[in-house]
Amino acid sequence: MKNKILFTLLSVMFVVPSFAQEVVVSKSGGTKTSLDLSAYGASGAGGFIFRQTLTDDLSRCGWFSLTRPASYTVTGSCHDNNGSLSADCQLMNVLKSTIALNKTYTDTPANARRLAHRVADDIIMATKGFRGICSGRIAMVGTSTGNKELYLCDADGGNIRQLTRDRSISLSPHWSPDGSRIVYTSFMKGYADIFMINTQSGSRSAVARYPGINMAGAISPGGGEMLMVLSRDGNPEVYSKSFGSEQLIRLTRTPRAGEASPTWSPNGSQIAYVSDLAGAGSPQLYVMDRSGTSRRLTSRGKENVDPDWGANNLIAYSSRRGGLYGIYIINPSSMDERLVSPPDGNYKDPAWASDGRHLVCCKQEGNNSRLYLLDTMGDAPVCLTPNGGSWFSPAWCSK
Amino acid sequence: MMNKRMMVSVLLASVVAISMTGCKGFFGKKGSKDGSVTDVSGMGNADGLGAMNGAGGTRIEGAGAIIDAQLVAVQFAFDSAQVDDTERAKAEAAASYLQANSGTFVTLEGHCDERGSAEYNMSLGERRAQSVRTYLMNLGVDSTRIQTKSFGSEKAKDPGHDEKAWAVNRRVEFVVMKQ
Repeated sequence: MKNKILFTLLSVMFVVPSFAQEVVVSKSGGTKTSLDLSAYGASGAGGFIFRQTLTDDLSRCGWFSLTRPASYTVTGSCHDNNGSLSADCQLMNVLKSTIALNKTYTDTPANARRLAHRVADDIIMATKGFRGICSGRIAMVGTSTGNKELYLCDADGGNIRQLTRDRSISLSPHWSPDGSRIVYTSFMKGYADIFMINTQSGSRSAVARYPGINMAGAISPGGGEMLMVLSRDGNPEVYSKSFGSEQLIRLTRTPRAGEASPTWSPNGSQIAYVSDLAGAGSPQLYVMDRSGTSRRLTSRGKENVDPDWGANNLIAYSSRRGGLYGIYIINPSSMDERLVSPPDGNYKDPAWASDGRHLVCCKQEGNNSRLYLLDTMGDAPVCLTPNGGSWFSPAWCSK
Repeated sequence: MMNKRMMVSVLLASVVAISMTGCKGFFGKKGSKDGSVTDVSGMGNADGLGAMNGAGGTRIEGAGAIIDAQLVAVQFAFDSAQVDDTERAKAEAAASYLQANSGTFVTLEGHCDERGSAEYNMSLGERRAQSVRTYLMNLGVDSTRIQTKSFGSEKAKDPGHDEKAWAVNRRVEFVVMKQ
């Protein structure tokens, strides 16, 4: 709250009350484009939900400062009338006096939040020229039933719905590239096996049920292969499986070490994974290319775990240093790394959002773990999950 | 960013990594398929949820009743998968029990403390269970009577968040069942 007030004050201080100013410089979160939503109208329950959600999305996405006067104005209104929701939206570039977006959207009032996320991303596209994260979805593990089940929520943490009812332990959800399915690890048959679930129909099939552990399934960017960790041949190792031929290829051979958490590079030519090859008790990140050559990526920190290789080619991971876990990002070419979570909390298990700017991760708060949206450009973290139970293993889907 | 000493240690670690993984061409089309790994075709039974059996372990499905064999869990040092000298008697007691009671088999359940990541702990728990498996096999227990299971840090025995609780939670439990 304090940050919010400070931020608002700073924003007000830096706004020059003239239309000639394109961006507002703020202390955190980089430069922001000023946007005025204050004239947007709403009626009916669905209309008010739409407007509030749209305001929250545009405020949270990191690219705007909601002030007036502003470089852009959003006008129009959203009405909830006899079971139908209608939102018209005009986005004006005040400097150029041009209309950047002029569109009418219709949906049912029940979808008011989803519709607002879509409109927010349209506004981001029209002003910034790239896709926002507002209509993304997050898969995660939740404990509120007393078991670990898979859940889905929207990018703002709203619209939480339970995906599995296995009454078991579910772990490590990862999306298929098209966003239609999730691979995850479940003990529902008594062992750690990998299953694939269709998020629409809920139908499910087993992907790997070998003796020992089967976990950490990660589908390749092209959709044809899956990485996973198996102990079918003894020690836990990273394998790749081709969906067409069902061919299983063993990628690591470390009799004295365990592997975990393989993740694909954006073009599928490399993988990063965790191994404690350098010493039990010190899991570190490694990168392997298509020739099978691997190299150690991380050197600082006693534990470096949970890598997620983003479309921006940066690998996010959690690192334990000085007794606390923090979220770091590393460039695998230059090896430059940087802490992106606040230094005073325990932040773990990051997953890149599709904009390459934000990450969703877990923060330990007392006995509970909650999901937070982190901004690598400096905006304050935003909690996404409600109180009650713990939330783990977020995975981002842009679709 | 990185000082010289670190650079050297990174390089050394890389050399170790490459020599230990020793893998040329395990990955993708360019490489040859690892001869020891062949996938058992299909997904098991018709619903696609059947188990696959491989060479690295045994999965004993449709287990019988659990027997209280009075066996004590083997405890582990932090982040270690080695059976310590002080813990060997527990594994030896388990081996003796299995040898004296034909028609039983054992699930070795590997557990970790809450530190680390959920996935790394799954891997570490499996390595702990396999250490005990190797120990039992060296004592003459038939491998087909042993299955390993890792619960990582999912099933803490002590719900605390301190050193004492963590030490209790780093363990391999013997779950003995009738065939």
